[in-house]
Amino acid sequence: MGPYPCGSAAGGWEGVRSEAQCTAAPDIDGLLAGAGYRVRSSDLCQVAQRLERLESAMVYNSGGGHADYDHLASDAVHYNPSDLASWVDSMLSELTPADPGPVRHAPAPDGWVDQIYPQPQRAVAARMEEEEDSGIRLVHLLMSSAEAIQRGDAALSGSLIDEMRLLLTRVNTGFGIGKVAGYFVDALTRRLYSVSSPAASGSPAEYEILYHHFYEASPYLKFAHFTANQAILEAFDGHDRVHVIDFSLMHGLQWPALIQALALRPGGPPSLRLTGIGPPSPDGRDSLREIGVRLAELARSVRVQFAFRGVAANRLDDVRPWMLQVAPGEAVAVNSVMQLHRLLTDPDSPGPAPIDSVLSWIHGLRPKIVTVVEQEADHNKTGFLDRFTEALFYYSTMFDSLEAGRANGSAVQQQQATAVAEVYLQREIRDIVCCEGPDRAERHEPLVRWRARMGQAGFKPVHLGSNAFKQASMLLTLFSGEGYCVEEVDGCLTLGWHSRPLIAASAWRADDLEDNARPVPDNFIFSSISSTSNTNDSNNNNNNNNNIINGNGSMLRRNSNNNSRSSDSSSQQESIHGM
Amino acid sequence: MAGSNEVNVNESKRVVPLNTWVLISNFKLKYNMLRRPDGTFNRHLAEFLDRKVSANATPVNGVLSFDLLIDRPTSLLVRIYRPTPFPDTDNTEPSTSSMSSLLTDLIQPPSSDPFPVIVFFHGGSFAHSSANTAIYDSLCRRFVSLCNAVVISVNYRRSPEYRYPCAYDDGWTALKWASTQPWLHSGKDSKLRVFLAGDSSGGNIAHHVAVRAIESGITISGNILLNPMFGGQARTESEKRLDGKYFVTIQDRDWYWKAFLPEGVDRDHPACNPFGPNGNDLKGLPFPRSIVVVAGLDLVQDWQLAYVDGLKKAGQDVKLVYREQATIGFYLLPNTDHFYEVMEEIKGFVSSNC
Repeated sequence: MGPYPCGSAAGGWEGVRSEAQCTAAPDIDGLLAGAGYRVRSSDLCQVAQRLERLESAMVYNSGGGHADYDHLASDAVHYNPSDLASWVDSMLSELTPADPGPVRHAPAPDGWVDQIYPQPQRAVAARMEEEEDSGIRLVHLLMSSAEAIQRGDAALSGSLIDEMRLLLTRVNTGFGIGKVAGYFVDALTRRLYSVSSPAASGSPAEYEILYHHFYEASPYLKFAHFTANQAILEAFDGHDRVHVIDFSLMHGLQWPALIQALALRPGGPPSLRLTGIGPPSPDGRDSLREIGVRLAELARSVRVQFAFRGVAANRLDDVRPWMLQVAPGEAVAVNSVMQLHRLLTDPDSPGPAPIDSVLSWIHGLRPKIVTVVEQEADHNKTGFLDRFTEALFYYSTMFDSLEAGRANGSAVQQQQATAVAEVYLQREIRDIVCCEGPDRAERHEPLVRWRARMGQAGFKPVHLGSNAFKQASMLLTLFSGEGYCVEEVDGCLTLGWHSRPLIAASAWRADDLEDNARPVPDNFIFSSISSTSNTNDSNNNNNNNNNIINGNGSMLRRNSNNNSRSSDSSSQQESIHGM
Repeated sequence: MAGSNEVNVNESKRVVPLNTWVLISNFKLKYNMLRRPDGTFNRHLAEFLDRKVSANATPVNGVLSFDLLIDRPTSLLVRIYRPTPFPDTDNTEPSTSSMSSLLTDLIQPPSSDPFPVIVFFHGGSFAHSSANTAIYDSLCRRFVSLCNAVVISVNYRRSPEYRYPCAYDDGWTALKWASTQPWLHSGKDSKLRVFLAGDSSGGNIAHHVAVRAIESGITISGNILLNPMFGGQARTESEKRLDGKYFVTIQDRDWYWKAFLPEGVDRDHPACNPFGPNGNDLKGLPFPRSIVVVAGLDLVQDWQLAYVDGLKKAGQDVKLVYREQATIGFYLLPNTDHFYEVMEEIKGFVSSNC
């Protein structure tokens, strides 16, 4: 026990005045919470003692030199700095392995962060340029037009749109507010005048091209991949057989880095299965398989045992867990980069949303890690004006960051990538502004709501640590345009532009101690699915091994069941084997 | 355990509340890890550990905040804090909550009466923290409520990546920017009633920006220096007496000066020691009135007191607020008399000079 009379005021003052600046959860010290630290009042004494011990350990171990500070700084991984008690414990265990039990045994109450500040609104990042007045006028007109639409006053909205078009001719639309306003005027026009449902047009192949350019032109997707891969790598530690399920394979851009990282793993790589989900190709090409082949070649070149399976589905909620063929004993990672929001519905609409059943079967897979990356915005508001406003500020910031990247990049390729990346974002804008009900797919919700949802679905958070943070920060230094910022918040990482977070990455798990337990999803009925000999193996464990690991080269066995399933819109494809 | 270390720890624990002790010790230990002996700084880990908060255009306790990029080439951000704007009574359109968060509504003057604008420079010994660090967000919000002010918190460039004079340049940029904003001018004479304020390195920046303002025609109503960071080549009595006793050591002070000052100069450089052998004479110059708060358990107090002395000798108006039993960081948590009494002093200073 230290010299403190715990629980009462320190000596020397007539009374300690404490003022709850914020409504933290009960027993959490309100003043420290305002400073960003979560400590139970009842733990304060012990945390203080541990801090003393940590300091002594640091001084003692280093003999007064810098040695041990350095170890803690460069080698130790820090997690969730807001949780002071856990942090100091983890530091102590780095320095003094034989340490008695930690201060806190129970995690802090969920959702406490929400109680400190109300849901943060968009931070307004404005540019003070010469066209400031026109720019501000444009924003006013946009808002008025959107409000008119919400009220049902199409005539007023239309005339405001005309006024905006006029104003756009006088404003520089190459950058800044003029550029993003142009896209929103376009979207409003479509909403007003389109006869048919303005659903996102274009083929999956076109979308993949747009995605690839967005990937090139900005760090957001790279950050997503980086951060997710880091969490997956850590979760796979100690496992020999690992299985990654990618909810949106695209060009498989995320996976070469993970394959190479696994190849370099101390103790040797695990055998890796990758199941990539993507839309079916309308022209009969097997695009998923083509990507699988390329990844298999890469895996072979770095001597990682690899098997690929493609699952073609237009919607994630068409996917059934048995299609993923999770085998007993393998460590599962589920990776979702900007996919989960498509499963949401209007907040007001009653009944379950597709997200609930999908989260349920993900949970049933008992994954070691679920990596979730989502846009950090609330674009799922029911009210049109609110949603419009939110999107205006979000994409304004997003476009601003792209611009800075274009201005600083000298390569023609970079310029082109930026131009096409804008089209990628334009699709999102159109979806948010023009589509209603089941037509709207871009239902972005902020991290704080995803955290609640994942918690309710039974997932436990896996904190992204300082090493992931550092790598993300270093990634950003490769990009000129110095406005990017990575932040850590409650174990998750966000990437933003000029202090506005735009994309958030979090990680979760649902494994139990019983690694051998084979989950049987209880809300899917196998008997209704027509089975074929080699693909519907969910009840037959042995066959899985044959499918996964097969020594010699790639094999193409066309499934015979592609068209035989009438109750499903998705199909399976064959496995591709590497090594 | 080292014996002297135990004594140090006991002393500091006796003079601050428990949660303050936990907070500042936490900073101390984390900052120890971030400073490398070769003068480099573990910036990634620093940013990871720093507890930040978002701007919030929705008023909380009557204060809202928003971020602005005021200089693109240097990516200079400021976070502006202000009281809730009045609804626009001239607007005949029904206003919605989303529209009230528009920039144009945020930059309405808080009142038709004269109001102070406080340009605030956060502390962190030139290397740590940001405008959006939680502890400084809290402090700025308090200043808004306390003084009915608009507070502009400057996210200045930090050392060792950006040495002298970058922080001063950024402070100057922010001050100049404020002087161009019509909505920050108030009163019948439409004046910018600006105060420069800062704690630790922020206090140092406030002084130097005020010096720069002298020749520019921007009148500053007052300087508010909270435990300002000054130093010099000599070792003063307070430094020797208090070394390591209340969270701070001479060694860490030396590190931060070395990281901020130009390479090869010593601590008698005027940035560090404005009234030292290389200092500039402020006699006869229109330097703003100052209020300087000194904590009696801050090891650099002799330098701070010398600063106050230097201002007096130059014929400048300065009020010293000396808190005998206060340590560094006392203004971060509202749990002591030091906190409340110093806030009252600041309030009085601002209102009488606005």
